[in-house]
Amino acid sequence: MKHWVSQFNARMDRWGERLSQKELRIPVDLTVGILFFLFALAILLVMPQQVAISEKDAVNGRAFPTLLMVVMMICCVMLVGKELYKIVTKQPLNWKTINLQTELKALVILAILVVTYLLCRFTDLFVVGAVFCCLGFLVYFRCKKPSYYVITITIAVVIWAAFRFALHVEF
Amino acid sequence: MLQYILPATGLLFTLENILWINIGVFVGSVFAAIPGLSVILCVILFLPVTYTMTAIPGMMFLLGIYCAGGYGGSVSAILINTPGTPHAAATMLDGHPLSRQGRTKAALKIALYASTFGGIFSALMLLFLGPQVAKVAAQLGTAEYFMVCVFGLTIIAGVSGKSIIRGLVSACLGLLISCIGTDPMTSYDRFTFGIPRLYLGLDLAVCLIGLFALVEILAKAEKSLGELHLDTTKIKDDGKITRQEYKRMARPVLMSSIIGVLVGIIPGTGASEASWFSYNTAKNLSKHPEEFGNGSVEGIAAAESANNAVTGATLIPLLTLGIPGDGTVAIMLSALMINGLNPGLSLFTTDGDIMYAIMLGLILVNLFMFIQGKFLTTLFAKVVSIPQEILTPIIVIFCFAGAYSVNENYFDVAVALVFGALAWILRKLELPPVPILLGLVLGRMTETNFRRALLISNGDPSIFLQSIYCKIFLALIIIAVAAIIRGKLKEQKAAKAAAVQKESN
Amino acid sequence: MKKRLLSLSLAMIMTVVLLASCGDSGSGSGKSASWKVTCPWAPSGVAAMVSQKAAAKSTQYSDTITLVAEAIAGDAATVNTWVMDTEANDPELVFVGEGLLSITSIIDPSKLQFSEDDFVFVENLYSSIFVLSAEASLNIKTIADLEAYVAQGQEISVAVNGAVGSEAFLAASLFGKMGAGDNLKLVAYQSAAEAAQAVAKGETQFAVSHQSQIQETYQQGSVSVVCAFDEKAIENGPFAGVEGVGQYGYPYFRNRCFIMARAGTDEETVAELKELYDNILADEEVVTWLQDTMLLEVDTMSQEDVDAHLENVKNIVNEYKDIVAG
Repeated sequence: MKHWVSQFNARMDRWGERLSQKELRIPVDLTVGILFFLFALAILLVMPQQVAISEKDAVNGRAFPTLLMVVMMICCVMLVGKELYKIVTKQPLNWKTINLQTELKALVILAILVVTYLLCRFTDLFVVGAVFCCLGFLVYFRCKKPSYYVITITIAVVIWAAFRFALHVEF
Repeated sequence: MLQYILPATGLLFTLENILWINIGVFVGSVFAAIPGLSVILCVILFLPVTYTMTAIPGMMFLLGIYCAGGYGGSVSAILINTPGTPHAAATMLDGHPLSRQGRTKAALKIALYASTFGGIFSALMLLFLGPQVAKVAAQLGTAEYFMVCVFGLTIIAGVSGKSIIRGLVSACLGLLISCIGTDPMTSYDRFTFGIPRLYLGLDLAVCLIGLFALVEILAKAEKSLGELHLDTTKIKDDGKITRQEYKRMARPVLMSSIIGVLVGIIPGTGASEASWFSYNTAKNLSKHPEEFGNGSVEGIAAAESANNAVTGATLIPLLTLGIPGDGTVAIMLSALMINGLNPGLSLFTTDGDIMYAIMLGLILVNLFMFIQGKFLTTLFAKVVSIPQEILTPIIVIFCFAGAYSVNENYFDVAVALVFGALAWILRKLELPPVPILLGLVLGRMTETNFRRALLISNGDPSIFLQSIYCKIFLALIIIAVAAIIRGKLKEQKAAKAAAVQKESN
Repeated sequence: MKKRLLSLSLAMIMTVVLLASCGDSGSGSGKSASWKVTCPWAPSGVAAMVSQKAAAKSTQYSDTITLVAEAIAGDAATVNTWVMDTEANDPELVFVGEGLLSITSIIDPSKLQFSEDDFVFVENLYSSIFVLSAEASLNIKTIADLEAYVAQGQEISVAVNGAVGSEAFLAASLFGKMGAGDNLKLVAYQSAAEAAQAVAKGETQFAVSHQSQIQETYQQGSVSVVCAFDEKAIENGPFAGVEGVGQYGYPYFRNRCFIMARAGTDEETVAELKELYDNILADEEVVTWLQDTMLLEVDTMSQEDVDAHLENVKNIVNEYKDIVAG
């Protein structure tokens, strides 16, 4: 078992090493500008279906979200315009470097969170998800101390019991 | 007033009251320190405990929770960069950086001292100026509320980081999210996309868990375990606050306490707005604005004194006019009415001893909060030295349990997860999350008051400039915008100077 | 070390007391079942307060049922969620008023994910007579004064709780019947207390609210109370003698608050719950409190009474919906 775990860890380290070299560079202002411009446009397009209005309204329920989306679009145009000006005048753009190893690790953490949620949701027993969450993170951090496993799982059960029996939260 | 003080003291200083105050303070501090468990949720959960009590011990217990909740939210904001309650978000901006510098205990102590000062200040305001202040507050109408909101939105510039434009994009997103749910003016649904649970809108505490707590969990991916562990050589934390720091804190604490009281007496506004207003004002007036966001003692002191100064102030319209200032106080109103006390000025003559006992009790609550806080700070400060392997899943469990408890369904947990993922993407795109929070806090209030004011005036926008209070708020908005422009010009000048110096070197 | 021990022991003692107090309040005796009573309106509202009072009294009248009051503002949305989350025989109760069953069902039926068939009636918690208050400077104190004012043909603004709530329809029916429907401007606020304050501030000329919510501003002289939305004049309390609109042939209804269990819940259980509520509502202290502090009346009802009430409100809504919803 120990051998298998260390083999698995070694393989992960090798992958990690390789991934840590790989980086993605994105022009962040340009991306934000385009992405949120499209988002604002999409919201404006779905507005008639999503927000019902009455003829009696002095200022109807669409006015405020429309105003917000217009402001967002203006901001996006400014961001994109600024970046385009930089391209024309050959100034350096605002770049953001994304490390693939970090993103993959974040995805693993997100997966632990999602599975925790799904376990809670479908077993309708919060403590099941809580115990999985503890195990998930302890494994993620490659914890080898048995005492940490005992302590964390005990605390998780105690938290559930406190909410369930003392605060009467039904889960 | 004086004729009621002596009998009120007799009613207040009983063993039962002291015990309930202390239990309330402890419960409030612990609840508020856990992300997702808001003060209002705590008051709702513990309200049945007061059913069998008379008015004073019942109110003392609830006030204990309310005041200590104001302080408790700062604990997790400082320790794990996650505000326990929405009103502690401003504290997080400087509290956590100070903690990362190895001064956790000092940060917690600053929060406690500032909270206590703010709390006692507002309690004294309630005691001596309550009815007079309430009459002024009662004159503020829809147009004035809208101006307060606009003033609040100017804070976006202060919390946008390097780019105001990106801050505005975030704020628009937050304001849009606040539109989800039933339209408060027409009762029609908006942006629910056929999902029944969205009819209620998104709960602020749930969004907060995703935006600040879960994203911090995802951020563990950015560092190795070794990097995540606290460098113990850094812990030289004896919790001492230097004389100079005390001096620097004095002005923001006083200023923020006044702001907290002013915000608190306006029904509908609360501790979140007060802490942001104060944080922004303290930053604008500080001689060291560059320290804000990097562990400024002034920043922590300003935010904390303001959110606790709200506690006594929200009781002013409640006790004098029967108008609850926020949701938590609304529940206290019912605790009073269940005991046959219908709050209002007349109650000051018919049951003056009870009214003054409650007001004096608020001072006592703050004193006990201080005493308990002194002891608990030592314990709380230990959290940062808990190994990450244990701490991380425990934070997640608290966050999920907290999100679930809001409406007792897993939909809110899913919403928190979505917000966590969204916050992670926004972090990658360098979009600040604090303006989203501001949008969520101010969105509904801004829109409702804007639309209602125009309905009242038949579409005439001059309503926003008619009253003297509107004019005062307009002046404040102009001052705030001027301060933003001045700050930006200063920054540009400094950047230019740095560039020139670099070239000459 | 001493300080650490002291901190630890303080925390321990507090935790024990906290858990003990929680356990006491929530579960009661071993046999007792907690029934959560969800109020879909603001916690500062009249219904939420009465529900808490009933919950406080429940242990006195039943060894088997403990009522736990909860208020989640959200109206139809809260009840939709409640219906989604509950099944027959779940220990859950919810408040449903004429606003949902007679108003929303006509004005915006798509909003309701439920119908009357999803509930089984337990009891009516109270009956409240709404009053119309006017800004003091208008000097309108009677229905005759009001009719004279309306006859001038000016715009009439009325503060109400919610855009399409009971208060909005009471205002619409009164002014509509007076022939001033076209001049009527309803200004929606998020709670009845806010609406009551609006008239005192002069934001609107009139407000429709519960009596208790206007009492303080009335005593301070900021508003006058013009009429009550009832058949006859108010008999008790600070507004005794205020004319009822029914005396002048105007439409009216009282605000009622029905406690409902999920449809399919055992008849025996529903009967037990009804008996508990009836006992609580017969308690002398509760009666006095409802009358003197909340300015409400005890009004226990049968299913037939409920149907008649809902039908009356539906008729008013159908007649005046154009004024309210446009």
